[in-house]
Amino acid sequence: MPIVFAPINTPLKIVRIIADDKTKKHLESLGLSINNSITVLSASGGSVVCRVMDGKLALDHNLSTKIFVA
Amino acid sequence: MKRFALAGNPNCGKTTLFNSLTGSTAHVGNWPGVTVDKRDGVYKKCAEPVAVIDLPGIYSLSPYTPEEVIARNYILDEKPECVINIVDATNLERNLYLTTQILEMDVPMVIALNMMDAVERQGDKIDAKELEKRLGVPVVKISALREQGLAELMDKAFNESQKERHGSTVLSDTALAHLINDVRIALSGQNVNNPLFHAIKLVEGDEIEVAMHKETVPMVEEFKKTFEDDTFGTDFEALVADGRYKYISKYFAPVLTRKNKEKFKMSRSDKADKVLTNRWAGIPIFLLILFCIFHLTFSENFLFISTFADWAHSPLPTLEDLGLLTAEGEPINYGVRWLATIYDGTIYSPGVIVNNIWNDMLVGELFGWIGGLIEGSGMAAWAIGLINNGIIEGLSAVLSFLPPILTLFLFFSILEDSGYMARIAFILDRMFRRFGLSGRSFLPMIMGFGCSVPAMINTRTLADEKERTATVRVIPFFSCGAKLPILTAVAGAVMLHFAKGNGSADLITYAMYILGIVVAIVSVLLMRSTTLKGETPPFIMELPAYHMPQFKNLMAHLWDKTKHFVKKAFTIILASTIVIWVLTHFGFDWHFLDDEQINDSILAGLSRLIQPLFTPLGFGSQLGTFGWVFVLAAVAGLIAKENVISTFATLGACLIAAGVPELNGFTSDVIYADETGIQAVLAMIAATGITVPGLISFIAFNMTTIPCFAAVGTAKSELGDKKRFNWTLVFWIITSYTVGAIVYTIGSWWWTLFIWAAVAAGVTCFIVFYNKGKIKIKLPKRAK
Repeated sequence: MPIVFAPINTPLKIVRIIADDKTKKHLESLGLSINNSITVLSASGGSVVCRVMDGKLALDHNLSTKIFVA
Repeated sequence: MKRFALAGNPNCGKTTLFNSLTGSTAHVGNWPGVTVDKRDGVYKKCAEPVAVIDLPGIYSLSPYTPEEVIARNYILDEKPECVINIVDATNLERNLYLTTQILEMDVPMVIALNMMDAVERQGDKIDAKELEKRLGVPVVKISALREQGLAELMDKAFNESQKERHGSTVLSDTALAHLINDVRIALSGQNVNNPLFHAIKLVEGDEIEVAMHKETVPMVEEFKKTFEDDTFGTDFEALVADGRYKYISKYFAPVLTRKNKEKFKMSRSDKADKVLTNRWAGIPIFLLILFCIFHLTFSENFLFISTFADWAHSPLPTLEDLGLLTAEGEPINYGVRWLATIYDGTIYSPGVIVNNIWNDMLVGELFGWIGGLIEGSGMAAWAIGLINNGIIEGLSAVLSFLPPILTLFLFFSILEDSGYMARIAFILDRMFRRFGLSGRSFLPMIMGFGCSVPAMINTRTLADEKERTATVRVIPFFSCGAKLPILTAVAGAVMLHFAKGNGSADLITYAMYILGIVVAIVSVLLMRSTTLKGETPPFIMELPAYHMPQFKNLMAHLWDKTKHFVKKAFTIILASTIVIWVLTHFGFDWHFLDDEQINDSILAGLSRLIQPLFTPLGFGSQLGTFGWVFVLAAVAGLIAKENVISTFATLGACLIAAGVPELNGFTSDVIYADETGIQAVLAMIAATGITVPGLISFIAFNMTTIPCFAAVGTAKSELGDKKRFNWTLVFWIITSYTVGAIVYTIGSWWWTLFIWAAVAAGVTCFIVFYNKGKIKIKLPKRAK
């Protein structure tokens, strides 16, 4: 499921990212890479704040529908 | 001299380390993307002095934004003798992702494990010795802020720089190892530097790399065909990223022992974010904070105490009521003068108090004394005129605006240093998206409230070219520190002259700030739906942990701002006041003119020539003989916006000397003694008979027109493309002219509102239909 719908405060594994090459590479270098763990801290109105490794990232609505976790 | 480059993730403390090492005061802030250009300094405590180069933060060596390209190219092309890779120990794994890439280059490197104090405060431990063994390069624990471990770091770096290091990769256990090795051998055969690094980037299909090694690409593609992976298919970059992270979590992450095994505990920052980034509360809280900042800086009614007192039917007594003023309205003694800076029937806010002390007690006294000295020195009349009316008046007008600019800047520095800025960008992203920008572009915009120059440079953090162009163009609308004096002087004069002091000048100032923002929004919308169409880039931003603003840091910011300001006052502004004075005191036949003959001067002639152009804006032909002063001030503002008010002061004195009958009540001493510029504007109003809408239109025009020389130069270099820059100039002229005309006509004849609304509706409809393809215009084809 995309992270917008993911349960909050639960560690999840990233399984798929649909984005153009440039964005995907940027996401990877921020730690949003397949097989990595992600925890959604808040998802209000589509925008998502999540914890990846020990950092906190904010993503807009459009992007957060393109990151899939299991 | 040896060069050591500082490389690391954004906001990991590179610039703090740079400042500590070199004794510089480069700008530091708690959000990713503060440093957007490389800068260098010298570290003297090694065996020999070494150059230290601070690079913009990068998350990886595959750049995403223009400022990341700068960092990558520096390490690759300039070949520093050593790379100091700063690793934020509080986010070890993510930071080591970049480390694994630098390891692949043939460059000596040292790891600086920064923010160890924060890690240890949480009770966690990092085994630096073990990490050093596993990485194969020296690791030094440091605290850049507390200046701990710096000597050891630099000694290690110096030591490493004397050796050679060959690239090594963490991918040698993955399925890609074979492919990478083949490409590396092929590249070594072509005598490429850093073959391992380039080989891996080629396998990843990195844009820059593919363009650089065109002849090797077919070979790589050939190799790739023989490869297949179950999870990733042929997505090689994802495969490489996964390989790196797997290695990091398997071999490097275990050096960190956490005191608290439960990984997802809410930190204090998380709790604060629950409120501050809340969908509903976020924006109101932000507006409230903004209001408080303006209130603390400008309000002459601190915490609305005197308003409450009025409600309670016990108004606070003024100094006059207390019998502390003489018959002329002057304070009876020195103590009362000090009291008057804080209180006069109303309590002033801290920003106003600082301003009063600076202007009434310090600058006013000092310049008054110097002026008196020169007056009595027995020099030629024209020399006294030049020094007193030209130079000193110009300088004091500029210097007197230092306090409000610094106060406002201090508050923004606090927001910046605490980590709140990044949150504002996030909560505004949703709103910005409707206008076709991402929340990221908010950061350069708010920097624009300080100064457009660094703000425009900061747009390098924007990944999308069109978003960058649009942002650079609207940055001047975020009224900068130098435009503030124009606002306060004109607003103050409007209140005194037309409302007889019954009204609040700061309301006009707020309103003008808001007007600037509205103009920015409207023009972004227009550009993004016409000439700069394109998808709104995605918003991805790291939210740093909140921390208390560092006193040292805030003071460094203020000191920097002061230095910049004083330098500007004594160079470009001083020079332009002298030029303006000369041009107002010489006629076209190059004869010296007395103050009385100002109307025959070169500047008067030139300004009169273009004056009619400004008639629709309310300060053109309708103003009569002396109407050109407004035109001249606006033109002087193109050099530096500080010139606008100082020009008024110079012209005011000349007009009085010229014996303009409307100026009977004014003396040049009063104008010179008034640092706020209000008296000068009052003199202009009296001499020209300009109306309120004309004045408001004048400030609106100055706010939105072509910014100062420095900002125009920056825009030129940041936009790169010459055509785009020329259009930007056209855009500024058209926008300011339109805004001024709208303000003036609606302010003078309210019913013109309907005409403007109809025009706006028409333009909107046209754009919407045009974009839907319902209207087609044939554009003339350009000759090739």
